[in-house]
Amino acid sequence: MSTVDWKSLEPPHTYLYSGAMSSAGERLNRFALSLKIPANRTAFLADPPAYVSTYSLTPLEADLVARRDWTGLMQAGGHLQAILKIAATVGQSLWHIGAHCAGMSVEQMQSACPRRLGGLPPDFP
Amino acid sequence: MGHIVGGFGISHSPSMGTEYDRGMAGRFDPRWQLWFDGLQPVKAWLAKVRPDHIVIIYNDHLNHFTFDAYPTFALGVAEQFPQADEGWGPRKIPELRGDPAFGWHMCEQLVGQEFDLTVCQQMRVDHGIYSWMPYLVDAPWTIPVLPIAVNMLRFPLPSPRRLQKLGVAIRNAVAAYGKARVVVIATGGMSHQISGARFGMANEELDRRFLARLGPDLERLVAIPQQELIRAGGTDAVELTMWYAMRAALADEIEQVYDFYTFPQITGCGVVVFEETQWTRPAG
Repeated sequence: MSTVDWKSLEPPHTYLYSGAMSSAGERLNRFALSLKIPANRTAFLADPPAYVSTYSLTPLEADLVARRDWTGLMQAGGHLQAILKIAATVGQSLWHIGAHCAGMSVEQMQSACPRRLGGLPPDFP
Repeated sequence: MGHIVGGFGISHSPSMGTEYDRGMAGRFDPRWQLWFDGLQPVKAWLAKVRPDHIVIIYNDHLNHFTFDAYPTFALGVAEQFPQADEGWGPRKIPELRGDPAFGWHMCEQLVGQEFDLTVCQQMRVDHGIYSWMPYLVDAPWTIPVLPIAVNMLRFPLPSPRRLQKLGVAIRNAVAAYGKARVVVIATGGMSHQISGARFGMANEELDRRFLARLGPDLERLVAIPQQELIRAGGTDAVELTMWYAMRAALADEIEQVYDFYTFPQITGCGVVVFEETQWTRPAG
């Protein structure tokens, strides 16, 4: 498990989704969000490489999908809410994504949560 | 004229919805039983104030909108707002209904006050509303809702000040409507982060203080930069800025009638209810 900087707004601690990320992740997000349609989920599960190829993913992006590399997908510009649709389709959940991001097993993450902290923003009333 | 009888802020999460379904099918997970029980006074309050319309400020999670066209502000004007399939298939719950006549009135009034929203005549709604609604309203859901979707997913987000102004515009728009009782709800937050190594962080101190200060201290809350709210509460705590719109839609002088807080597992779950005594106390 990597060390977490609880105050950091930078990767890998925190991903603030920007316009640049959105452009980088355009194909990935379009592919992921296509899985909101049940028929597309079926088609993807039946033949992942064929389905992925219709969304013009790069070989790297396709590989991240195949390896369920949730953290890598986010670093490639996938939005968490889009990646969650891929996870749902392959029978995984938010826990798998969170555990992957934090370098733990799902069971470790589930028993760690809630990961309690304190502290208020400056000038909080 | 139309008047706002009160409002509340409430958290949402996918598990809040699926755990409700599990609870109804058998028994609640004890962590979610707390939330279910904690919301019963809100359910009773909503029944007591008898709204004719409910305005809901919420955010979509790429379940209706995609980044091909992602509005900063969008208004749903439709007879129905069907449940979005978030990838796991639809839940067995009622469908939200809308009132297009009220929707177009609000649209004209909000655009007239320089809120140039995207108007959606077809809008599927996700757990942003569907996760908590079953806790608060028994089926069938007859009270029409007016969903206002706000971008909380991709920077730049609308500023806290802008959300405050949205609330003021909603108040003016309701006042310009015919006789009607309106409840304004904002949903999102509280502390949570669902990506990155800080996944699962929980800040009860922040959440409880937010619930306590939203009523009396809106101006000071609005001054807090989004980034600082995110640093203390996680990326998705920024959804709390939508609660500013709800608070600003209410009168300065209000009564805080209820609040509740629990942290089941990944998302801080809180609610705070305000009532406008001027309108709710007299019968009718």
